Amino acid sequence: MKNQANPWLTSNLLVLGLGMLPAALLIGALLYFTAWAFAFSFTDLALVGRKSVEWSWVGLQNFERLFTRRGFLESLWTTVIFVFFSAIVGQSVLGFLLAALLRGSQSTIRTVVEVCIMLGWLLPDIVAAFLWSATTAQTGLINQLIVVPLGFAPINFINEYALPIVTIANVWKGTAWSYLLFSAALDSVSREVVEAAKVDGATPFQRIWMVQLPIIRPHIATNMLFITIWTFTYFPLIYAMTGGGPGRQTETLAVFLYNQSFSRGNLGFGSAISVAMLVIVGLLSLVYLRMLREPK
Amino acid sequence: MESNPATSRLTAIALSFMAVIWVSPFSWLILNAFNPLSTGQLEIPRSIGLDNFALAVSGNAGRQFLNSMLIAAGTATLSVVVGISAAYPLSRLRIPGRNAFLWTLVLLRMLPSAGVLVPLYFAAQRGGLLNQFGVIIALTILNLPFTLLLLKNFFDTVPIELEEAAYVEGASLFQIVTRIVLPMSRAGIAVVWFFSFTGAWNEFLLPLIFARVQDAFPMSVGLYAAFGQQGAINYGFLTAFSIIYAAPAIGVYFLLRRNMNTGFAGVGVKG
Repeated sequence: MKNQANPWLTSNLLVLGLGMLPAALLIGALLYFTAWAFAFSFTDLALVGRKSVEWSWVGLQNFERLFTRRGFLESLWTTVIFVFFSAIVGQSVLGFLLAALLRGSQSTIRTVVEVCIMLGWLLPDIVAAFLWSATTAQTGLINQLIVVPLGFAPINFINEYALPIVTIANVWKGTAWSYLLFSAALDSVSREVVEAAKVDGATPFQRIWMVQLPIIRPHIATNMLFITIWTFTYFPLIYAMTGGGPGRQTETLAVFLYNQSFSRGNLGFGSAISVAMLVIVGLLSLVYLRMLREPK
Repeated sequence: MESNPATSRLTAIALSFMAVIWVSPFSWLILNAFNPLSTGQLEIPRSIGLDNFALAVSGNAGRQFLNSMLIAAGTATLSVVVGISAAYPLSRLRIPGRNAFLWTLVLLRMLPSAGVLVPLYFAAQRGGLLNQFGVIIALTILNLPFTLLLLKNFFDTVPIELEEAAYVEGASLFQIVTRIVLPMSRAGIAVVWFFSFTGAWNEFLLPLIFARVQDAFPMSVGLYAAFGQQGAINYGFLTAFSIIYAAPAIGVYFLLRRNMNTGFAGVGVKG
């Protein structure tokens, strides 16, 4: 990479270029489709009916509607809560704790816990939604095992605590990713550094907080970037569990976008929502990338 | 780390407890799937049998399994092949702005897929690609930015000195790539293949819109369609079908597990 004069590369530029061609074509298609989606956001295009054929340009009207009509801002707030608690607090912190604890554990425990967490992650979204709907139902596991034995009336969790339940389900589903990434990151911290800190009398907590965490900061930033963005646009689990309800309690932006575009058929407005989401995600990414770049 | 035995035992107990909580939601799935008289409630079955599984594999399920397999394996393989042939030059040639370009693509891809669904659909309709092949291409397009970034990161970690040595020994470009670069980034390729495979296996929205006929449904769409099919929901069928549907992704993970864990180290490396 540093050395430009690599003869097996320079004499085969044509072959290398040809190799990049299929990817370039597909990326071109992606850019083309994205541009198209951008263009839609300035129209009143609809999924069905007259406006699906005779659509017209409406300028910034769709973007004005984001702020003047109810829906977008409420969904944005729901999304912020959902992302903060499920991705940042839940998945990241829990994933890191597990990675740190399991490093010191016996290999059997490590394997068992790892497999258990992975099962949630590997489960298809729709099946996970079934599981959590059943577990939190009135006759489900939580009620039968905890609520009823304690003498309370069974609670219909999904109706009464929709957002917390969806958040927990997403923590359950997504922690494995953070765990794997942090686990790999901790492996890359050299043993000598940790041992040296130990010799100097650092407590286990200090060893993690002041030695290991600063070293793996780039990994933390990368992980945060990925899971924030994924959670921000995550759709199937929430949609299959609640469809955005009850009312609009769990209508995150991704669900809002889907409902507007495909249930109500407002493709133009839907595109404006996705453009707004892209802008938000872009800003968030800039923040994280700064974290990544900053010198140690 | 060698901490004292009391704390480590306490940690072990806490961790085991956690593992139990983590798998507890599966109880409903297992209890209902093996209960021929399943009602969708959480209860200990009076009899245990495989009737539900027999029901689940009869009918359309076999066909849907093959469709899912075709879409998932096809997408994963196409993504990896296209990705490798572009990521190697991207990693080795000093193309200005390539990192910024890749990151921009990845960010662009963060646009919720519902956003690009409509243009994708129109294009597929015009090209006569409203079928499995169209789904594979569409998913590959959506996967590619991420695939490229990961593969390039993995190739960056292969020391170029090895390639120089091979060149001095008279190896061709093709030999260098297939004998040195690919074997050394095997773990990374396994990770990328696995991500694409599970992503495509789980994908729901795209096949729902692309596959217009019953015969072309993958399992994700089949599962969704089975919800309302017989009027009342047949929970025994649903849970057994869910288990069959979930099995391949889990199986593939455990096959690739060793590679995966090393491969993950590369994900965190900055691009």
